[in-house]
Amino acid sequence: MRAVWRAARAAVRRRKLQTFLIGLVVLLCSATTVVSLALLDASSAPFDRAFAAKHGAHAVAAFDPARVTETQLTSATAGVTATAGPFGQVVVKPETDSGVIRGTPLTVVGRADPGGPVDQLDVWHGRWPSGPGEIVLAFTPDPDFELGPLASTTEVVTGGVTLKVVGFAESINNSADGWVTPAQVAALHPTGLQMLYRFAGDVSTRDAVNARLAGVTTGLPGEALIAGEPYLTVKEKAAEDLGVYLPLLGTFGVLGLLVAVLIVGNVVSGAVISGFRHIGVLKAVGFTPRQVVAVYLLMVSVPAVAGAVPGAVIGALGGQSLIGEAFRGFGFGDTQVRWWVWLTALLGVPAIVLIAAMLPARRAHRLSAAEAISAGSAQRRGRALRIQRALSGSRLPRPVSLGLGLPFARPGRTALTMAALVLGVVTVTFSAGLGTTLTRVGVIDNQVSGDIGVRGLSPIFGTPTTRTDTQVEELLRGLPGTARVGVFATTELSVVGSSEPLLVNFTRGDVAELGYRAQLLGGHWMSAPDEVVAPSKVLLERGLKVGDRITVDAGGRHTTFRVVGETVRGPSGAPGLIAQWPALTTTVADPHLQPSDYFYQVQLQPGNDLDNYAEAVKAADSGLMAWNNTGTDSFSIIVAGFSATLGVLLALVAALGVLNTVALNVLERRRDLGMLKSIGMTPRQVVAMMVTSMGALGLLGGLLGLPLGILTHRVVIPMVSDAAHTRLPESVIAVWTPAVVVLLILSGVAIAVLGALLPARSAARLTIAQVLHNE
Amino acid sequence: MPLPYGVRSVPPMTRETVVRLDGVRKEYGETVALDGVSLEIRPGEAVAVMGPSGCGKSTLLNMVAGLDRPTAGTIEVHGERIDEMNETRLAMFRRHHLGMIFQFFNLLDDLPALDNVALAAQLTGSKAGPARRRALELLDELGIADRRNIYPAALSGGERQRVAVARALMNRPALLLADEPTGALDSKAGEQVMDLLLDLNQIGQTLLIVTHDERLAHRCASRLIEMSDGRIARESVLEKL
Repeated sequence: MRAVWRAARAAVRRRKLQTFLIGLVVLLCSATTVVSLALLDASSAPFDRAFAAKHGAHAVAAFDPARVTETQLTSATAGVTATAGPFGQVVVKPETDSGVIRGTPLTVVGRADPGGPVDQLDVWHGRWPSGPGEIVLAFTPDPDFELGPLASTTEVVTGGVTLKVVGFAESINNSADGWVTPAQVAALHPTGLQMLYRFAGDVSTRDAVNARLAGVTTGLPGEALIAGEPYLTVKEKAAEDLGVYLPLLGTFGVLGLLVAVLIVGNVVSGAVISGFRHIGVLKAVGFTPRQVVAVYLLMVSVPAVAGAVPGAVIGALGGQSLIGEAFRGFGFGDTQVRWWVWLTALLGVPAIVLIAAMLPARRAHRLSAAEAISAGSAQRRGRALRIQRALSGSRLPRPVSLGLGLPFARPGRTALTMAALVLGVVTVTFSAGLGTTLTRVGVIDNQVSGDIGVRGLSPIFGTPTTRTDTQVEELLRGLPGTARVGVFATTELSVVGSSEPLLVNFTRGDVAELGYRAQLLGGHWMSAPDEVVAPSKVLLERGLKVGDRITVDAGGRHTTFRVVGETVRGPSGAPGLIAQWPALTTTVADPHLQPSDYFYQVQLQPGNDLDNYAEAVKAADSGLMAWNNTGTDSFSIIVAGFSATLGVLLALVAALGVLNTVALNVLERRRDLGMLKSIGMTPRQVVAMMVTSMGALGLLGGLLGLPLGILTHRVVIPMVSDAAHTRLPESVIAVWTPAVVVLLILSGVAIAVLGALLPARSAARLTIAQVLHNE
Repeated sequence: MPLPYGVRSVPPMTRETVVRLDGVRKEYGETVALDGVSLEIRPGEAVAVMGPSGCGKSTLLNMVAGLDRPTAGTIEVHGERIDEMNETRLAMFRRHHLGMIFQFFNLLDDLPALDNVALAAQLTGSKAGPARRRALELLDELGIADRRNIYPAALSGGERQRVAVARALMNRPALLLADEPTGALDSKAGEQVMDLLLDLNQIGQTLLIVTHDERLAHRCASRLIEMSDGRIARESVLEKL
């Protein structure tokens, strides 16, 4: 065993570059594997995982304290596996504005601590209340806490009581808007008692949860249960919000894993094959076949372990950041890269290294010493020779034709390198397509947002404008720089035959020209008061299509609209129908609209500063709010962020695979390179030859990877839009212009050249005398 | 009547010397491989360098070929200071003015004999057609034209060295350098290579041969340089056998 260890140690020392490369590849691949697995893990039932981790409540129930005692509630445990509560609960109305507290009623619950058996809270900023006069508010973690309004939310004043905000917390159940100590809630005179239940048995449907809730409350006094909310309400909302991320996370995860496995396999098997001559020598001096295999496994294990540990740590940090960014705001608390992801990468990547080394090492195990030594000289046969022959007669410069023939000498190594290049191009293509799609969606969003948003001030924030909506429109049209103005009045109306109300945006002015008409997916723009245009989300959620009719009820007055067009987006906010202004008075008898109910979109003439215009609006009428309404939404920023990160990472890993292939080729062909230089091949020609050998593969990788990348984009983007309950126009999906296609094909060449350049330059610097002397 | 071995267009030697070394020293760390070697080789001369292993003869050949750089001293070949050239200029110089023959032939395994020979011309930018025609001419004169499509692995040692000689002559070099040209050959093949070198010298090809083989030196060279500990120990004029 000592001989094996010595031989392995000597081999590691002698092959410093190869050892370094294996370590580096394993490091990058471990990092990629952790990130990829973390993405795949995160995309698999993220709500369920977070719900289980936080011991979420299957039902959040509120009881009437006048009808039921706390003892009765704690005694009712039929079918329950865990309970928390009863907690005093009260709805308070803040009397002053502070930060995000703007007069909205808050449900405040008295809890002694954020832990417990059910609905464990994540206090992500500050601390839990320790006495009277303190409150923790429910908000999702905000990375820009200090910059945003949360930092200025310092107190809640209600009923003459001032509660100091001491922290911010998050509940997977959204079980309250704020938490105080039990003593404090008692002082606020609670109107309810909150119970949090986890049930045994089936809780997969609302009916099942309601049945469990009915079971646990069976023995309680009648009408004690005021309200009970199944966790499925929160889950369905989360599924809708998260659904848009899952196909993207899954795609990048699978691509990352494939590239990592391919590169590790290629690098390690290449290292062993290039050591066949050494294997032959070991056998010749008396090593048994088993000892030879052991030497090689040890030789690759050292850098594998050295690379896997930091790689897993780097991957976990990167993955944590990506996942945290993607899931921030979904109420899942601090989403972690789970232990099994770490462990899989830590053990899995070195295991792949060992398997990749084992396969060629087993071949060496079978070979005699003489055969192993001659196998190390990379004798080319058959097709490879015919191709070299054909290339030598071509009109190409000789270094180029020699380079083009190189990949055929080692078809297995070439195939693995090629596969990594193809996957690299697929990733780059998909990332580029995704980026362009997001940009085009952003253009649509910006078009329909208008450059400037204007709304009358709410009385909570100041004195509202005294102008009528028509006068405000006239004011805006009269300001310098105004190109178009659209006016919206939005009302929520009941729909005949449906329990879900519907928003209707009554519009006038230049709404069609603002960009809404340009983004029609089907049908036409409204031409009569009984016609409406609907965003895809509304049509999909209500099972409607262009041509269908929908009847709304406004205080008993029924109005029927015909859907004549489908748009990508409606105005900002919750999606609703778009109707003509005259329909407002025919639909709603007495709209009672306040200045803040009107929303004005303004598009400016080119060259005008948006912020200056917004200031000009506020200066013209202090009762109006005006803001720059352009910008990129957080989804686009997050997706573009991880798309670019993964794209660059996988391209780098693929380039590293190329680097390894060229380094091995240089190592194996040192004699040939020395000879070529001795007969007059210049350093530049040597670089050209080695780079050409991979550039050609890169071009082929580009040609194969491009259609696969386009196909991936074509499949995944509709999955994302389906999850978002929307449809995207073809212009957003068909993003492939000829120039982009050429650039993406060349991205394969760029990855290959990037990887090949370093070892090619080292080949050019080979000292001929030394190489030929070694011979 | 054309001269054999395709050397009819060897440039006329107007200079007094093809090689001039002046005080050349080469150190590898603590080891001194060459210690102030000065040497001149005139056009048409055949010079053999001999000496025990480690005496510096291969280092001397590498210096003249521009494969390695001196620590001190100057090296002039074909009128140009090659010790001052950068790698690219050295490569261009080698391809146009030097031909090299190695002990282990150093042919590309994945090219047949003809393309191995043609390679030297193709690197200078010659098109494949003319390069192959000249390569065939050389192989024909060396008596192995019928082996032109055979890969090196299937050639005998003597045949491989002939292919290597043909490649070295491809660009009509002013100086042919040979490093143990018979060292890997059996006696019969070695004799053939010796004849070949002798013929080449007789038609004006300047030769610098590094060898352990006294027979080769005496058969082919007109001057013998014996080296010891990195220095020229003795120079003598040889009577050809």
